[in-house]
Amino acid sequence: MRDKILILVLIITFALTACGGKATTAPPLQAAPTDTPVSANPPSSGEKVTLKMWSHSNPAFQKANELLIAKFQEQNPNIEVKFETFEYDLYLQNLETSMVAGTEADVMELFGTWICPQYASGGRLMSVPEDVMTYDQAKQIFFQATLDGYYCDGKLYGLPHEFNLENGGALVNQEMFEKAGLAFPPQWATFADLIADAKKMTAVEGGTMTVAGFDPITGDGLTFTFLAAILEQGGNYFAADNRHFNFDTPEARKALQMIVDWAQKDKVVDPVVFTDESNSVSTAFWTNIMAIGFIGSWAAGEGLISYPDFKFDYVEIPTYFGGERHFAADSGWGKVVSINTKHPVEAWKLVKFLTVEEDSAVIYNTTSGTIPALKALVANPDAVLAKEPWIKPTFDLLPHGQFIGNVTDRDRLFYTIVYPTVLLAMQGGTSVDEAVVKINNDANAMVDEAK
Amino acid sequence: MTNIAVPVPIRVKQEKGANLRPWQRAFVAGSLTPIMALLIFFSVLPMVWVVVLCFYNFSPARAGSGFMDLGGANPFVGLDNFKAMFATSQTSHIFRLAFLNTIVFSVLVLPVNLVITLPLAILVESVHDRLKGFFRAIYFMPVISSAVAVSLMWGFIYHPQQGLLNALIKAIGLTPPRAWLTDPNASFLGVNLAMIAVIIAYIWQDFGYNLIIFIAALQGIPQEFRDAARVDGANAWQEFWHIIMPLLKPTLLFVCVMTMLSSLQVFVPFQVMTNGGPAFQTEVLVKNIYDYAFRYKQMGWAAAISMVLFMLVMFITFIQFRLLRSEVEY
Amino acid sequence: MATRAKSLAITPARLVHLGNRTLVYVILLAGATFTLLPFIWIILTSFKPASEIVRIPPTFFPEKWTLKSYQTIFTDPRVPLARFYFNSTFVTFMRVFITLFTSSLAGYIFCKYRFWGKNIMFVLILAQLMVPFQVIMIPEYLILVKLKLIDNLWGLIIPGMVDAFGIFLMRQFIEAIPDEMIDAGRIDGASDFGIYWRIVLPQLGPSLAALGIFTFLAVWNDYLFPLIVITTTEKRTLPLLLTWYSSQHSTRYDLTMAASVLVMLPILLVYVIFQRWIVRGVALTGFK
Repeated sequence: MRDKILILVLIITFALTACGGKATTAPPLQAAPTDTPVSANPPSSGEKVTLKMWSHSNPAFQKANELLIAKFQEQNPNIEVKFETFEYDLYLQNLETSMVAGTEADVMELFGTWICPQYASGGRLMSVPEDVMTYDQAKQIFFQATLDGYYCDGKLYGLPHEFNLENGGALVNQEMFEKAGLAFPPQWATFADLIADAKKMTAVEGGTMTVAGFDPITGDGLTFTFLAAILEQGGNYFAADNRHFNFDTPEARKALQMIVDWAQKDKVVDPVVFTDESNSVSTAFWTNIMAIGFIGSWAAGEGLISYPDFKFDYVEIPTYFGGERHFAADSGWGKVVSINTKHPVEAWKLVKFLTVEEDSAVIYNTTSGTIPALKALVANPDAVLAKEPWIKPTFDLLPHGQFIGNVTDRDRLFYTIVYPTVLLAMQGGTSVDEAVVKINNDANAMVDEAK
Repeated sequence: MTNIAVPVPIRVKQEKGANLRPWQRAFVAGSLTPIMALLIFFSVLPMVWVVVLCFYNFSPARAGSGFMDLGGANPFVGLDNFKAMFATSQTSHIFRLAFLNTIVFSVLVLPVNLVITLPLAILVESVHDRLKGFFRAIYFMPVISSAVAVSLMWGFIYHPQQGLLNALIKAIGLTPPRAWLTDPNASFLGVNLAMIAVIIAYIWQDFGYNLIIFIAALQGIPQEFRDAARVDGANAWQEFWHIIMPLLKPTLLFVCVMTMLSSLQVFVPFQVMTNGGPAFQTEVLVKNIYDYAFRYKQMGWAAAISMVLFMLVMFITFIQFRLLRSEVEY
Repeated sequence: MATRAKSLAITPARLVHLGNRTLVYVILLAGATFTLLPFIWIILTSFKPASEIVRIPPTFFPEKWTLKSYQTIFTDPRVPLARFYFNSTFVTFMRVFITLFTSSLAGYIFCKYRFWGKNIMFVLILAQLMVPFQVIMIPEYLILVKLKLIDNLWGLIIPGMVDAFGIFLMRQFIEAIPDEMIDAGRIDGASDFGIYWRIVLPQLGPSLAALGIFTFLAVWNDYLFPLIVITTTEKRTLPLLLTWYSSQHSTRYDLTMAASVLVMLPILLVYVIFQRWIVRGVALTGFK
């Protein structure tokens, strides 16, 4: 009896193997025709092609991509797009491991600043074919700063979706301003005005800060603030070879001191309670624990989807030192094609549809809350502003931005080197001098390791 | 009827030490070959490979010139990886922190775990059977839960504003720490608060395991011994020290070794709850290996760290055996 | 043994004894509360709306019970929940069955046979026992890359098909089977495999169950290995679902807690039903 049960179980298990082991993919999520897809050889036109597309799982970006994929499949019934998303932390590691193993997608959404140092140089991406778009053509329709990340060693490796602006704007909580009797939307002439307002809205209860007046503490926010403050003073964070860094400068010290003062002198944010890990601006702002949250415009887009009734605005913040505005911008999210793709023609068709077509770009930017990379959309902003009016102030900022440069490993520089050290300085765990020197050493070590 | 010759059976009784018959040899070979092949390929080979990798600067994204992508773009660097462990770069600094944190974690977890599980086991053992089962079932529940779920759970419990812990502390009227997981300046008795927080969560998940083992061991102590001690006038404390402890020595050794071994290999809470922070105060060796191998693609360096972890494991196990083995038998 | 006189007198000794007993129960109950409280907290949290979760101070019982978090997860087109359950079940069951088979077979051979190379092989098995997975995970990954088993459920199964711990354990238990029984089987004309199948295996019931449970727990909850091997969403196992809603830029606690409940539920249910065997099994494996 026992024998028979055992054999039965083994049979069932092997039966499961037959279906499960070859388990491939879940059915597509768009209304696509259900023919069997996939041929390994480039098909003649008309044959069914399946493309895999990857992106990260920010809900606004997800929605934007899904809308566009639906449209694309309508227009191209012979191309099916399988779309997969990954949470951000896992996305990078996944890209790495899958590219090594050759299991990556055909089309991927990558962050521009990553591309040259981390992906193109490894030969993992396909350069944009001349008949799809040349670099000169691209320069005419896209903002330079958005393209810089995609252009490596004389070749263009992808097309951008957005002008990544993590500088110059902040979310502001309407109720808190009004309760404190402050003007809303705020009209700050100088940065000191912003801090003054922030002080009035900061709340501390029983030794714990319950409302932060001004919270710039995110991995991106803090780093960009630091870099922008250096640039505003006319300084530079790169060394002469534009690869290595030089943070050991008086400008860097002044920049860091300003940031530290926000926490220690002005006390508008408690850097222990409000960190990127425990109360990150993009989620915490919507829980009414901060009045002014320094973050990119995409957070507004995400907030509108997840918290549609929240009363807020996204406004321009003054320059730090009162002079001309200067900041460093990432080359933002865009689409690239893997070097291993079996359907390059279709893949680039998809990429071009997603990034170059103005209608697509409008949908993408307004749904994800990002600033357009296409010059045309800013020159004639009505279509965009109709859907995301709060993004208007950022348009004025665009001319002042420059591409951040080749920073070797962008996420590592931001999240492992600059952010933790700046945060530590804010928390009083290290002096400004020590912090600046540490950032300098660590960043340069990173460059040397990567060689 | 005596001395009737018993017909010799066709299959001869196997004497220990005798050679195998051909069909038996076939059986052994047929069964063991695939098994050993799998073992060698997926366990032994990687062990050798780790040792080899230590001496190279290897990234899986670069195609090397030699066997298994070694050499060429992935050059042989000799002892450089090990020398780098004493260098001043951030990478080396993080490694040293990870080494220290791993040891601190393991050294703290063991006594706290024992202090909780052994007395608790005795208490559970002393109640009625049905209640015994009830408590045992409850105490073991965290063990079967997913470590990721547990880490997320405790991450939320530790949240400074929305979490259960601070709310409870405030409810009693005390002032909670500003932040459990993100304050690099907070410490208790010289140990960083974030590390303490992880230790609490880890012990919460893990204590049921040792508890069960101790209960089983206690049940193996003959009741007569304990009764005899009581009759002789021993109180509970003396009974514990002179009867129970000596008999539990082998189990104790096993539990100590297993607990320390497991704690040296912990990964999930350090990545999910704290991500090595704040300021690398909860960075441990396994996380360090993972980050540098799979995120930064420096597999040679990560392999060197793996070797350090291995040596640590061997060393600690060896010490434990030395210390605790002396009085095992009874 | 002295007889214990039954007396109803309330003596000081009796009171002390009663006090002790009460203390014991108090401690045990406190322990149970500490153990259960986090579970209760996240279950309650999973039924709260997002707005209530972020309230300060937090509420314990939900003021407003809602299924929204679960709804979101079930209807999220990006989260093929059924697929995750299937992947976890498939990988776990395959590994458990195969491990039970290889462990018992190898344990039997190492225990009851002598053959050339036996000691060397045993040392190799010991080696796997001594070396933690984390130490060899890098080459393990590289091997899987070369075998093209990355992002494949079999990549999770095959490296785990032979388990040194299992072989060791089974060998210990098989030692207890008397040689005479084996020889009797031989005399009766059974083949070696037949002896294994019909004589040895049936005797191993509880220990097989113990090893099976142990392996099941380890594989079902495994996070690190699938994290490295699986790169697409549909091949993910259940533990990889959990970080879906919590990442660097945003943590949705409502969804994360609901997801945690969903992931822990099957194993908690299995536990509640098979609790006695599970606990006994663990004690067996630990206490040998």
